[in-house]
Amino acid sequence: MKALPRDPARFEADGLRVRFGGLLAVDGVSLSAGPGTITGLIGPNGAGKTTIFNACTGLVPLQEGTVSLDGRRLDGLNPAQRAQLGLGRTFQRMQLFDTMTALENVALGLEARLAGQTWWRQAGATRKERAACHDAARAALERCGIAHLAGVTAGYLPAGQRRLVEMARAIAGQFRFLLLDEPSSGLDEAETDRFGDILTGVAADDGIGILLVEHDVALVRRICSYIYVLDFGRLIHHGPTAEVMASEVVHAAYLGSEELEGAV
Amino acid sequence: MIGITTGSIYALAAVGLVLTFKTSGIFNFAHGAQAAAAAYVFFEFSERNHMPWPLAGVLTLALVGVVGGLVLERLAAGLAGAPLTARVAATIGLLVGTQATLEKIFGTQALIVRFFLPTQRIHLPGFFIRVDQIIVTLLALAGTLALFWFLRTRRLGIAMLAAIEDPDLLAAKGFSPIRVRRWAWIIGSCFATVSGMLLAPITSLNSSTLTLLVFYAFGAAAVGMFDSLLLTHAGGVAIGVGASLLTKYIHGGGALAGVPSSLPFIVLFGALVLAPRGRLRVRESGPVRRPLPSMHAARRTTPLVGASATLAALIVAPHVVGPAKVSLFASAVGFAVIFVSLALLVRVSGQISLCQMTFAGIGAATFGHATSAGWPWLLALLAAGLAALPAGAAVALPAFRLSGLYLAMATFSFALLVRDVLFFTPWMFGTRRDEVLEAPRPKLAGINFNSDVGYYYVVLAVAVLGLLLAWAVSRGRLGRLLRAMADAPMAVNAHGANTNVSKFMVFCVSAFLAGIGGAVLSPISGSINSLSYAPILSLIIVAVLFIAGPNPLAGSLIAAAFYVLIPGYITSRTVQPYIPISFGVLAIAAAVLAGRSFRQRLLDRLAVSPRAALAGRSPSRARLAEAGS
Repeated sequence: MKALPRDPARFEADGLRVRFGGLLAVDGVSLSAGPGTITGLIGPNGAGKTTIFNACTGLVPLQEGTVSLDGRRLDGLNPAQRAQLGLGRTFQRMQLFDTMTALENVALGLEARLAGQTWWRQAGATRKERAACHDAARAALERCGIAHLAGVTAGYLPAGQRRLVEMARAIAGQFRFLLLDEPSSGLDEAETDRFGDILTGVAADDGIGILLVEHDVALVRRICSYIYVLDFGRLIHHGPTAEVMASEVVHAAYLGSEELEGAV
Repeated sequence: MIGITTGSIYALAAVGLVLTFKTSGIFNFAHGAQAAAAAYVFFEFSERNHMPWPLAGVLTLALVGVVGGLVLERLAAGLAGAPLTARVAATIGLLVGTQATLEKIFGTQALIVRFFLPTQRIHLPGFFIRVDQIIVTLLALAGTLALFWFLRTRRLGIAMLAAIEDPDLLAAKGFSPIRVRRWAWIIGSCFATVSGMLLAPITSLNSSTLTLLVFYAFGAAAVGMFDSLLLTHAGGVAIGVGASLLTKYIHGGGALAGVPSSLPFIVLFGALVLAPRGRLRVRESGPVRRPLPSMHAARRTTPLVGASATLAALIVAPHVVGPAKVSLFASAVGFAVIFVSLALLVRVSGQISLCQMTFAGIGAATFGHATSAGWPWLLALLAAGLAALPAGAAVALPAFRLSGLYLAMATFSFALLVRDVLFFTPWMFGTRRDEVLEAPRPKLAGINFNSDVGYYYVVLAVAVLGLLLAWAVSRGRLGRLLRAMADAPMAVNAHGANTNVSKFMVFCVSAFLAGIGGAVLSPISGSINSLSYAPILSLIIVAVLFIAGPNPLAGSLIAAAFYVLIPGYITSRTVQPYIPISFGVLAIAAAVLAGRSFRQRLLDRLAVSPRAALAGRSPSRARLAEAGS
């Protein structure tokens, strides 16, 4: 079994520009997030957060700008190649393998990475690889607190548990950096708290960096050490969490003073 | 001028097709069959019952256009939320059923419909035009322009386009979405009906050619990217003129002889492959998801007992069924290989291939050539599979860019292209249409398998190996990646496996198996003939596979039994024509049920909280749910 690159890496995006026809969806955005930290990317609906993720992972073309992991350029590669180099992600609109069990879903997180190393590996797995995928999946399910759901077909699970399965799949993928797109939406307060703990654990124990798009301001405030604020496709502010939360520019442009105060 | 006239008729059919597709998300593969039905009904009224043609036309329009449209609207409503494979299978079932019904009623002999429009010639310098040609051309153009105007300016027209985008909003604005959809289907059906009636005097009536002829309209629809009515019309006319010009310039036989008639498929294939990314899309009328298996994994293990029992039954079969039926059973077992090649695509990867019999034909032809060149039998069999492989790879290339519906169309245009361009060449079935390639039975390891029973066991051995290969693929990593791709392709790519590679591989394996299937079937009759690999058969086997249930392996065996054994045992001439009709009807029913079962589950999920549903199933589930909370 060929070793996957899995050492934690620094994620950098520089001067990203994405255009959809006449609309400039992302305009000159630069982000940087190191290993072992959780960085927030916040902004109102339509600010371009998901578009940035899509551009970084190769789902929409970049007009300008670069994306790199520890200096290794990713732009110009297809989504699978970017994932191979260690950039993992989850989706705002969950992308689970609904006809498979939770365990199979999570095991595929690693299996797809192993399979994509060379084209012929997609044809079949060695016994050792299968065992590795199975073990990684069990561990990831355990870590997300959903080991008891292993045998349940994912399509039957409620939204909150589906989020956890998707998170477990990303963990099982052993990525070097993770982009998480609104991972807590659909979770209730207690589930969100537990979810926050899982993310902090991934960052602290594995040393993996996380860039988090999230609407739940309380969660962002609790787990992020640094925040980027986006509005109309542009970065309007960035800095350590406390400073951003106190910024009037951010209050005015995005959060709305009530919402921010409510979350304090 | 003939090019413009026929082109205009294709255009008319294509515009109707695009309208219903735009407004319902259902691509009606049976659009051509409907045009054929219209032509026959018109023939019945005008020729057999001697009605004046305007009356016959109005009655046909009412019966096939309006009533047909209403029926189609109901079918489309039943398919909302069904997975794409089910939606394609349903309209293919409709095509198969309609065509078989027409054959049952009117026979397979070509019937002649007299020109009903005035055919006086108008002489112009250097050439002449017939009045009917002018009428048809103008009528078609007027039809398209009127529809274009209607959709742009009339409230009902605008509502039609909104019906699929947001039916609830439409209802809130005082429009009944059902009424709007009904109108769209009626108009689309009337376009098909008129095109069928106009085409009848030009082509002479034959249900299968007419059904497939209107597939020409697909080429026209592709020019308009299945969206623009005006471009679709222009595409139809251009294809008509292009084919007519090519017929003029390409004379006699040779490799290019089939090009004029296949121009629409070249256009369709080209448009699908070269279309700008994002231009080809399918409007969905709500969430579409694949039917879910049972809730718990433990309930869906493959029963080894069932597999062993089936194998044992197949081993003793030749000694039980009697010598007269041994070859029939050999055919069924051989067809299981072709069905499993299709099941790998349809059931495992969620893609549809409408050219499986073409792969089989390539395999069979290669096998015939290889054995006649003196190759050892087994090597010739292997060569058959390997020869079909590049065809699979060629079809996989459009699959990189296209998914679902458009891929299905590309595969069918590939089937028609191969038939028109390659079938009657020395490389495949020979240049003479009545030419027959020989397919010998083997002598392996000194044993002669020339007898029917002997050869049955050869077919069985090949089928077992083929099914094992399919099983290994479906249960192995490739199968997992394919199933994952069918559910959520973006997630597979986001985890590092390239879905294009998986698609490429499964198409290659599928073509290989179909090629082997085609080859191993041919020595049963001893000869290889192009008729066994006609494109329409690729459609029928999709319908049959859909009836046979979701399990790739068991479904393939059941489908083969349906497809071969039932017609083999029901020899009564009164009943036989009903078999393909029932295949069509059952495929539609299976497809609608596939959609319904999922919707029902979705409703269940919304109505009851999932944890309660989980707990309500059984005491062990309740404990499970408690453990989770």
